[in-house]
Amino acid sequence: MIVGGALLLGVTLAVLGGCLLLVLAVVAVRARRRSRQQRDQMLLSPLRGPLITVASGEDDDGSATEQLTWATGVTRTVLDRNIVELLTKIRGGPADQLVRVLEVHGAVEAATGDLRHRSSVRRARAAQLLGLARADHTVPQLVEALRDESVEVRNSAAYALGLIGDPSAAGPVLAAIGMPDRGLPAATAAEALQSMGVGISEVLREGMRDDNARTRVVAAHLSGERSFTRGLPELRHLLDHDADLTVRETAATAIGRLGRDEDAVVLARHTATDEPLSLRRACVQALGELGDGAAVPVLAALLDDPDPRLAELSASALLALGPVGRDALSGHEDEPAVRTARLVASLQKASA
Amino acid sequence: MSWQGFVEGLRSFVVWVMDVTSVPIIVYFVLINSSLLLLIGLAYLEFRTQQRRRATAITWQGAGMAPGVSLLVPAYNEEAGIVTAVKSFLTLRYPRHEVVVIDDGSTDETFARLEEAFDLIQVPRELPREIPIRAKVLGVFVPRDGRANLVVVRKENSGKTEALNLGINAASEPLVAMLDGDSILEPDGLLHVTRPFADDPTRMVATGGAIRPVNGSRVVSGRIVRVEMPQTWLPRIQLVEYLRAFLLGRTGWSRLGGLILISGAFGLFRRDVVVEVGGLEPGTIGEDFELVMRIHKRMRDQGRDYRVEFVPEPVSWTEVPVTAKVLRNQRRRWHRGLWEVLWAYRGMLFRPKYGRIGWLALPYYWLFELIAPLLELFGILIVPLALLLGVVNVPFAILFLLLAYGYAVMVTLSAMVVDEWAFHKHDRWRAIWQTIAASVLENIGYRQATVWWRLEGWWASIRGRKHVWGVMTRTGFDEDTA
Repeated sequence: MIVGGALLLGVTLAVLGGCLLLVLAVVAVRARRRSRQQRDQMLLSPLRGPLITVASGEDDDGSATEQLTWATGVTRTVLDRNIVELLTKIRGGPADQLVRVLEVHGAVEAATGDLRHRSSVRRARAAQLLGLARADHTVPQLVEALRDESVEVRNSAAYALGLIGDPSAAGPVLAAIGMPDRGLPAATAAEALQSMGVGISEVLREGMRDDNARTRVVAAHLSGERSFTRGLPELRHLLDHDADLTVRETAATAIGRLGRDEDAVVLARHTATDEPLSLRRACVQALGELGDGAAVPVLAALLDDPDPRLAELSASALLALGPVGRDALSGHEDEPAVRTARLVASLQKASA
Repeated sequence: MSWQGFVEGLRSFVVWVMDVTSVPIIVYFVLINSSLLLLIGLAYLEFRTQQRRRATAITWQGAGMAPGVSLLVPAYNEEAGIVTAVKSFLTLRYPRHEVVVIDDGSTDETFARLEEAFDLIQVPRELPREIPIRAKVLGVFVPRDGRANLVVVRKENSGKTEALNLGINAASEPLVAMLDGDSILEPDGLLHVTRPFADDPTRMVATGGAIRPVNGSRVVSGRIVRVEMPQTWLPRIQLVEYLRAFLLGRTGWSRLGGLILISGAFGLFRRDVVVEVGGLEPGTIGEDFELVMRIHKRMRDQGRDYRVEFVPEPVSWTEVPVTAKVLRNQRRRWHRGLWEVLWAYRGMLFRPKYGRIGWLALPYYWLFELIAPLLELFGILIVPLALLLGVVNVPFAILFLLLAYGYAVMVTLSAMVVDEWAFHKHDRWRAIWQTIAASVLENIGYRQATVWWRLEGWWASIRGRKHVWGVMTRTGFDEDTA
């Protein structure tokens, strides 16, 4: 009993002590954050004027830029952090001047070294800085960082490669999506690849043959977004045969954007009732976007589909096809799908 | 029997009860506290990851891969705030979203307010019947300007679940977000919760965001302009509960891959998956919980590679009950829903194919969420009785109570540290002291009352009593303090 009581007392005191420590931790976290904010504001205040002058493109004689390069110690660190933040928002001459300040401060060189830092936050920030500074000589190191153990670093490396825009990095970025246990998030990869120009179409074709479904989605999506018609055979193959429904839907949408007349038949095939409803709808929308008259009979046949949304989408697609599509609507005027499509189209036209 | 004899008999009975139950209760106490410690540890790991992510965040405006979202807003007699809510939903920062309002047979001016504000015009649209609906659809309306991505569907009154199912049928985007009519979303909230879908488009099927009480905060045009503490203690204590539930519970479970509950106040789902599982179950009380369980079951039964993730960023703000009467009704409903869903999915317990859901999450919810109030009530009754009869050592009992409630406070304080570290939504120092005070006051009266209400809900379900939805009195948010 005495032992039990002592144990209970000990545990209770430990828990109450824990509570006290947590209260102190809450207070300390807030106090530290506030004091840092105040310190940063104080250090930055003499440089705020020149910083605004440079960022707003008004530093014609370069004196403000020069003034910024003089910062030293903690002030320099705080200033560099602010410059990096500004570089995410501005482009052109002012951005070049700010990058020059970073170079004079040695921040770009330090970032190259920081890509191997122990802290994943430092590695990620370093990668971002190199991208924002458009340090194209660091592309090989950034490509290597796509395989980093930390997803933040992989994300930042892809972001940086996108900013630099070197199409030679497209292959590694796309390949990084499907890396086992170290995959690059699809959205980041897609944004990076978006900025790499037209030289990436072959890489995207390759990506559409990848084993990883996420890689195929990104490659198919970008092929459509960038209108890379060379990828059409792969897109058709994905639509016809892929095991993943999301991949098929993405391929259908992409074909709608960049397909040729003969693709109306390909898309029409997948509006059949034995296909998943979401794919049928995607294909009907794609047929509308494709804008080819060959789609008219297929779309007209779908006006009676048991799925009212599919029927309405078909009617909207036919309306978008012009006179030939509108002619196909005759005989169906009383159907709700057609009346709705007409009404919505007229409202949109009136407000345009 | 003399009074003396009665007291002696009672004393012997209490001693016997305590002898029999002491070991199981201590084991339970150790287990529940250890599991909470584990959840705190997991949440800490998750927040370290989140903090790293935040420290290195890259602005994402949802370009390209962002899937379209249909925001489903069921509304029943919401004339006070529906227009403001819809306007704020329409102006969220997101590249492709529509708002689908389902007027569930409101008897007030809900529809008239919408019709006037958005110049609605009826369209002869037939809605898909992918999820069967019993209630009659009275009409589909869109804005005359043809630009605002708004659809209003009027139907006969048949309840929130069916309203949401109708909304799913009416939705045209690949993701559906289920909202309460009085929810306030963070301007970037949709960007946060859709990000996992954009990052993993083939596997992600559902995400949930953190919900915070809005009471006391200043809201203008459906946007929070200043976060403040609620003005009374009842909602303040609920704020503490929300912090604990979202910042420790759901974050920890998400880290563990065992998230089975996404709040009905804000959840985002793949539309085709919701349709595939048959939509929300009509007549269910915990329809949000039930839906997530059905998705898990379906995915695992079919051996599919899928993910359900929790996004700890505050996404949605909601008004919490300010009176004991409304709170009682809410807690009865929640616990009843918990029991009914856990019972319905008891077949998933300890089955290898359900993995962590069957082996960890469901047993945890059975043991530490469902049964906890029963054991707590036992403690609330037996400890005072034992003290009165002098069969327990008073210092020992006091120490034990201090330990039990001290531990509860410690769990809450852990959530506070996380909140301060990661989100720091409240500017004023006063908010910290009020939250700490609420975490202590929660244990004095509030906790015991909710134990009773939860058991009431459970008992009502076991006896098969029909559930009656209470009325949540909304104060509305317009241009003032909520």
